[in-house]
Amino acid sequence: MKAVLIGAGQIARQHLACLKTLPGVDLAAICDLSPATAEAAAERYGIRAWFTDHRAMLEKVRPDVVHITTPPTSHFRLAMDAVDAGAHVIVEKPATPSFEELETLVGRARDAGCHLVEDHNYRFNHAPQRILQRIESGEFGAVTHVEVLICLDILGPGGFADPNSPHPALSLAGGAIADFLPHLASLAHLFVGRLRTTQTIWTKCKDSPLPYDEFRAVLDAEHGTANLGFSSSSKPDAFWLRVYGERMQATANLFETRLTFDGPRNVPKPLRPFFSGLEEGKIIRRAALTTLLRKFKGPGTYEGLWELLARTYQALANQSAPPVTASDVLEVNRMVEALKPQARPA
Amino acid sequence: MRVLVTGANGFLGRHVVGALLARGIEVRAMVRRAARLEGLGWPSSVEVFRADLRTSCELPRAFEGVDALLHLAAVVSGGEDAQFAGTVAGTERLLDAMAATACQRLVLCSSFSVYNYSSVARTLDEDSPLHQTPELYTRDGYTISKWWQERVARRFADKHGWDLTVLRPGFIWGRDHGYLAALGQRLGRHHLIIGPLTRIPMTHVDNCADVFALAALDPRARGETLNVVDGPGERVWTYLSDYMRGSSRPGWRLPVPYWLAIMMVRLASATVFRTATKVPSILIPRRLESRLKPLRFENRKLRETLGWTPPLDYQQCLARTYGATRHTDSVPPRASASRDHAPFAARAQSAK
Repeated sequence: MKAVLIGAGQIARQHLACLKTLPGVDLAAICDLSPATAEAAAERYGIRAWFTDHRAMLEKVRPDVVHITTPPTSHFRLAMDAVDAGAHVIVEKPATPSFEELETLVGRARDAGCHLVEDHNYRFNHAPQRILQRIESGEFGAVTHVEVLICLDILGPGGFADPNSPHPALSLAGGAIADFLPHLASLAHLFVGRLRTTQTIWTKCKDSPLPYDEFRAVLDAEHGTANLGFSSSSKPDAFWLRVYGERMQATANLFETRLTFDGPRNVPKPLRPFFSGLEEGKIIRRAALTTLLRKFKGPGTYEGLWELLARTYQALANQSAPPVTASDVLEVNRMVEALKPQARPA
Repeated sequence: MRVLVTGANGFLGRHVVGALLARGIEVRAMVRRAARLEGLGWPSSVEVFRADLRTSCELPRAFEGVDALLHLAAVVSGGEDAQFAGTVAGTERLLDAMAATACQRLVLCSSFSVYNYSSVARTLDEDSPLHQTPELYTRDGYTISKWWQERVARRFADKHGWDLTVLRPGFIWGRDHGYLAALGQRLGRHHLIIGPLTRIPMTHVDNCADVFALAALDPRARGETLNVVDGPGERVWTYLSDYMRGSSRPGWRLPVPYWLAIMMVRLASATVFRTATKVPSILIPRRLESRLKPLRFENRKLRETLGWTPPLDYQQCLARTYGATRHTDSVPPRASASRDHAPFAARAQSAK
């Protein structure tokens, strides 16, 4: 399977490092507008060729798969060119800035017989997958509600709130927070399905170049309800996922390895909280150690991206459906579209 | 003569602007959009040009009427990718803009970090081996981006026939920048000193700025690569004592011989961290070497090429760094250096 990548920035590093470990994947070329950036990535990852013109790369290399890791506003144009060249596309989130562009792109990919996979990486992290296993086994009971809350300081001067150079994500409706909506929506979609209705609150609490820095939403979905949120002010940084089932509840912090379940026990009812607390403490201590150790090795919080890529290439090799289907991409982005603010604040 | 200075409001840049003004050179100072210039004490003759090398479309305009570029801008904080994008891709955009203008003279601020300390046995000078790819990519983000910045500058200079001077300063120190990575590991108020007798390749910011201003003017600098250190450097123990006294930050100093530290780090690297890919720099043997390896440093080539001697000695530098009086003036240029400006100034005029 011949793979190429467009956009050798920060997230590209995870794609490239993972691709080097996958059997049967030939990392054939890389493209970036900056020649030095493209050449340095090619040298670092042992890639044979580098380009500054993606069309020239598609023409010359004829790849099977194109990874698109550029800023979101360029995704649509690049993905359309890749599909027109007959390649499957793995695109960073958000796949396109607007839902209309996504529908066009999905239609073009379908007509060309190509897959379009959007990076819903956190869905493939260890914790959501463990919760999913318990749901599928019947142990968890039917899911009634899910909460996803990202607490992340995005107001620092070096990133989204750079006062010297507007971050590309600021051109999205919702600004920098819109860059995280696919994470929230993909997890909500995983546990409670298609969106029916939603109510959102977008606010700006701190002085910064960002149009919004806080976001909350309540969703009514096909299989349950969801609360989604993003907070720039709450400390420390965390990515909380709480899933409520009819028999169990699960709590995970996706920035760490912490995952706890609380459910029925074979003890008298008054003693259940006591034994649950003991077990939870043991799990949290173990997670503290594994969180520390994974800082030394491996993809860390990007473990889900590595898993997604491994499953995607396996599916492509077997000519089966990829782990994120076009239908998933459309449903998640329909949810994202509904979550976006209707107008910028005054 | 007019010189464009990038990173002009940075720690070195603001002193370079002063040094150029002291030589009667017109300065166009490139700073980023949100940069605050109050307190720099620049006279109104300094022309401020606001741009960001990563994104600005206005870069060609910055070269209008400019005879030489002093490129000091670099991103020194943030992740490896942010440093590479700001320092290397930013340099590409800047030099692309320069290529469309009449400016033919470039002085680049590189760094000692481009040298492969692991391959140097005794004395580090301009002939010492540099990092090679792919070994380079095991180094820290700053090293990778400075190495690439120099590579990009040399390629542009070769392609367009520019007069390039590459200056590689050691550790630049001065007021509010007294603590150096060469001092070992800070543990709160206390210090773990690895190799207390090791000499530090250091240059005071006023001395360093003097070299940059001189290199921009002196035709003898054209085509040269010069290390910038004030001399053989102070020993770590001595400098740390002066730093602690000068900054009124008392604490304990725990000395560890360099050979013991590197042996322990190599052992840990071969056992505990054998398969680890993300380890603190001080626990990676090659990175520890590039910060702390005991070597000899000298500025012989700088002295011989430009006839330069540091305007300030170590005691004067200490006084400027830790004294009660805040010096905003640059060191005055010496008569011998001024005499050397004439040929290049005449050449720059004819080029225009």
